[in-house]
Amino acid sequence: MIESRHKYLFLFPALFTLIAIIIFPLVYTFRLSFSSWDVVQPTLDFIGFDNYVRVFNDMRFWESLATLGTVVLSVVSIEYIIGFALALLLWQDIERNRFFRVLFIIPMMATPVIISVVWRTMFHESLGPINDLLTMAHLPTVPWLSKPTSALIAVIIVDIWQWTSFIFILLLAGLLSLPHEPYEAAAMDGANRFQTFWHVTFPMMAPITIGILIIRIIEASKIMETVYVLTSGGPGTSTETSAYYIFIRSLREFQIGYSAAMSIVYLLLMILALMLIAKGLTRGLVSKGG
Amino acid sequence: MRILVYKGIKYLVLILWSAFVAGPFLWALSTSFKDDAAVVSGATYIPFVDFEPSLDGWKVLFSATEGVNILGPFISSLVVTLVSSLVSLALGTLAAYGLSRFTFRAGPLGNTDITFFFISQRIITPVVLAIPYFLLLKMFRLLDTHVGLILIYIAMLLPIVVWIMVDFFNNISTELDEAALIDGCTPVEAFYKIILPECTPGLVVTGLLCFIFAWNDFFFAFTLTFADTQLLPVSIVALNSSKVPWWSLSSSSLIAILPLVFLAIWLERFLTRGALLGPLK
Amino acid sequence: MVKNRMTKIVVTIALAAGLSAGGVARADKWSEKYPIKEDVPGPASYEATSKKDYKGRTLTILTHAIPVMGEPTALHAKQFEKLTGAKVKVVHVPFGDLFQKAMIPFQTGQAAYDVMFYGSLWIGDFHNYLAPVPGEYIGMPQMQEVTRNYKDVATWEGRMIQFPVDGDRHYLKYRSDVINNPELRAKYKEKTGKELRVPQTWKEYAEMGRFFNNWDWDGDGEKNYGSAEVVARDNLMFSAIISRVAPYAKHPDVKGGFFFDLETMEPLVNTPGWVEGVKDFVEAQNYMPPGGNNFGLGDEIFSFGGGQTLFSYSWDDAFVQAMEPKSRIRNLVGAAPLPGAHKVWNRKTGKWDKFDTPNRAPYICWGWTSAVIKASKNKDMAFDYLAFFANPANHASDLLVGRFGVNPYRTTDFDPKFYIKEAGWAPDVAKTYCATLSGMDKSQNRVFDLRVPGVNQYMSSLAAGVSKALAKQLTPQQAMDEVAVEWKQITKRLGKDRVRKAYANVVALEDNLKR
Repeated sequence: MIESRHKYLFLFPALFTLIAIIIFPLVYTFRLSFSSWDVVQPTLDFIGFDNYVRVFNDMRFWESLATLGTVVLSVVSIEYIIGFALALLLWQDIERNRFFRVLFIIPMMATPVIISVVWRTMFHESLGPINDLLTMAHLPTVPWLSKPTSALIAVIIVDIWQWTSFIFILLLAGLLSLPHEPYEAAAMDGANRFQTFWHVTFPMMAPITIGILIIRIIEASKIMETVYVLTSGGPGTSTETSAYYIFIRSLREFQIGYSAAMSIVYLLLMILALMLIAKGLTRGLVSKGG
Repeated sequence: MRILVYKGIKYLVLILWSAFVAGPFLWALSTSFKDDAAVVSGATYIPFVDFEPSLDGWKVLFSATEGVNILGPFISSLVVTLVSSLVSLALGTLAAYGLSRFTFRAGPLGNTDITFFFISQRIITPVVLAIPYFLLLKMFRLLDTHVGLILIYIAMLLPIVVWIMVDFFNNISTELDEAALIDGCTPVEAFYKIILPECTPGLVVTGLLCFIFAWNDFFFAFTLTFADTQLLPVSIVALNSSKVPWWSLSSSSLIAILPLVFLAIWLERFLTRGALLGPLK
Repeated sequence: MVKNRMTKIVVTIALAAGLSAGGVARADKWSEKYPIKEDVPGPASYEATSKKDYKGRTLTILTHAIPVMGEPTALHAKQFEKLTGAKVKVVHVPFGDLFQKAMIPFQTGQAAYDVMFYGSLWIGDFHNYLAPVPGEYIGMPQMQEVTRNYKDVATWEGRMIQFPVDGDRHYLKYRSDVINNPELRAKYKEKTGKELRVPQTWKEYAEMGRFFNNWDWDGDGEKNYGSAEVVARDNLMFSAIISRVAPYAKHPDVKGGFFFDLETMEPLVNTPGWVEGVKDFVEAQNYMPPGGNNFGLGDEIFSFGGGQTLFSYSWDDAFVQAMEPKSRIRNLVGAAPLPGAHKVWNRKTGKWDKFDTPNRAPYICWGWTSAVIKASKNKDMAFDYLAFFANPANHASDLLVGRFGVNPYRTTDFDPKFYIKEAGWAPDVAKTYCATLSGMDKSQNRVFDLRVPGVNQYMSSLAAGVSKALAKQLTPQQAMDEVAVEWKQITKRLGKDRVRKAYANVVALEDNLKR
């Protein structure tokens, strides 16, 4: 670490810009969570902890949290594995493989609201291509959006399709900015491909991996549009995630006070979970690198 | 032999993934040339062979009454996205460098906590922020303006920039800074003359992510505007009627992605240039 | 030589143009410039509107996505601009986002729009923010033609606050090439011992749906199925379930509420009548197309309209889709009133009453309506725009463009000749269509939407409950018990008196009381 009188010049512009923009919405949301603002009375009255008590008794909220957990755990781990594998396959041989590199970045550029509709048409069981191609290949068709398990899998597939590119591009950039010395050393030691990966690449990538996983977990947890378009939470409540549930309660039903309370609870739980995850990852990945 | 097997597996994986990635786009491309009759008769793929192509899906994007005119929104989107991305990138990179190089203390909180504070601003679900943000912009008379949206997007993008760039700066040895300082650079000079060029891959990728997040935001662009400021996702979604027009949604999904594809091609060149120059092959 | 040929072509074109112009006998100067047949004189006609001067003023309109309702909004906005010199801005929004787009400015006191197109069931939430329709517009001849159902829908506590621009209802659509096919009739009779006919009850609908499910009965090489319905949870499914429940739960002789008992405000959703409808709905999953239990309205339209299923019931769209000029089942469909029920729950006696003639309860389902916002500074221009939108010339031409989603709601709309002549429908189709639609206006046993504040809370709770029953997470009775509990909580939160006061209006319509 370097010390400098100028250090605040670096941090403060960003910090204060951010705080200036978000302070009002944050405080306001917190205040809303203690009010009964709803569709008939848009007022900031004070009803104590009523909304919070309701959150704790709302089974649908907790179920949606569990669904969210399943979705996020699956998508982030699968995306990480695939994204890392693809990045490793493509970070050398710079001149060749440009096509693949560009292609693999593209899915995350698709507007989520729209591309979900395209996916919905793909999953359509009688008019869409997926079941049609399965039939042509003499494979059994899948009730994509109409059975709880397959609907959840459909949601997961769309997320993987779109966001593996996010992890891929970040890991690729990470790999490309790695220092060269360790590789030269490893080559001198006669390490093979796998050993080089395990003892050189992986440890050096550990810090950025943690950063990427955390941000992916945060973003994946906001999954809402995909759910809305593909299944609208159904069949039953099988694909209802927290963000989607909060969306229904807030902007569909205008239970603004109540959804503010749900968001605050969600925010606190997420912060707690992320701190635990970050700690776990740091211990698991970084210490090992040594 | 082993090299050959490795190559075989490698390209098999790459091609399979390419098919998965390209699938929806190819389907959208095919669908964009269909009309009612071609859609309801089951899955079809190749125009002229499987179905009679129609240009309706594309025409609707450029006519004012039968569809939306996407040219204005396209330019608005470009302006808002560029400005908010550049501002976020500038401020965020500075902060990330600061957090990576200097020690900050605020009571019991240190650097990691400040970094986490930044990213934690991404956690809260956007839907509940709709009314607070609406009131905020109303207070400053910024509803339905480009400036209003740019501010909101800066708040949305800054955390991402800081969070990602800290990791990239951490990867660069502090010895470089120290050498620069010894050479008589001020810390600010050391930052942009020596360190910044070192992490172009990170910078470029982060810039791209900012661009994508802002370009694709539907929610705030939708909630905080009325009629004057229309961004691309909002005007495209205006085609998502109760009878979902598969054709025009497909064509619009492709149109919206087009500028980003060029960006991706340029980015890929830029990203790999540093690696090409280096000794690593 | 070349020149000669050119002259010939020019002459031919000129002749053709002259002929076609001469062919339209009553063409006027407006029908040359605008896509109408002729201007109909009246206070909102092209002629009258062109005399208004709104130069330098701007009208902002919130409407649905293109094309349904959104396209006519934009089209008539452009015309209005040309005629009056006003500037008109139109914002198109998907249905799922429309409520919030309107409600956030309302709640925060921002005058964002002048005119708004939206679902008429939200009248309970919006009425405080809407401007009543002035007497001069109510007095216009075009408004006098609006049928009783749609005047009722537009009215809140005795005052008209919504401007009728569309008529919506749920009715049954069937494939006439199956129902009227002698071979299939014989086959059905042989296999089931029953007559194949337009289903009179939901039980009959189910029997036929099951029989005609999962085999190719129209010989096109693709399998056909029984019924296409709106089942996706948060995609208007709540309206489908009301259609299915209505004949079991709306007793013609029991007054005082379909959703609640107006006296006690106890929810009725878990009474046997309601549960019976939910049971039917759960059972119906057996005769839907693959993926049919996740169909939204759009899928239902494509499925029935594309010739995949025997039946469908909900708004006009699927019927209109089937009757599109390029459709392969054009003129092979028919319209009929929603199926009824032989048994109806009587909550006064706590027993099922038997009905030899099936009980029918037409659901005057919510649909597109429009209104002028109270906070608007351009109310004069806004009402003029709406009156122009719905003037007889525009209305007649909008009715003929399927994708516009403008459906019959005026006494003049129920003439089969109009559809035969202008749209080229087969006479039988036009007749069943007009008879079905106008028949609903005569009913004395109508069901309306729950037009109370917070309607979205009730409906999303209903949809969630029914969806659990559909996914077999709960039995229909358990699911509806859960809904009833939630409805009590919602009523308590919103204020019992507030909800009761609003609901009394709905009950008054259903019980045919004059208020």
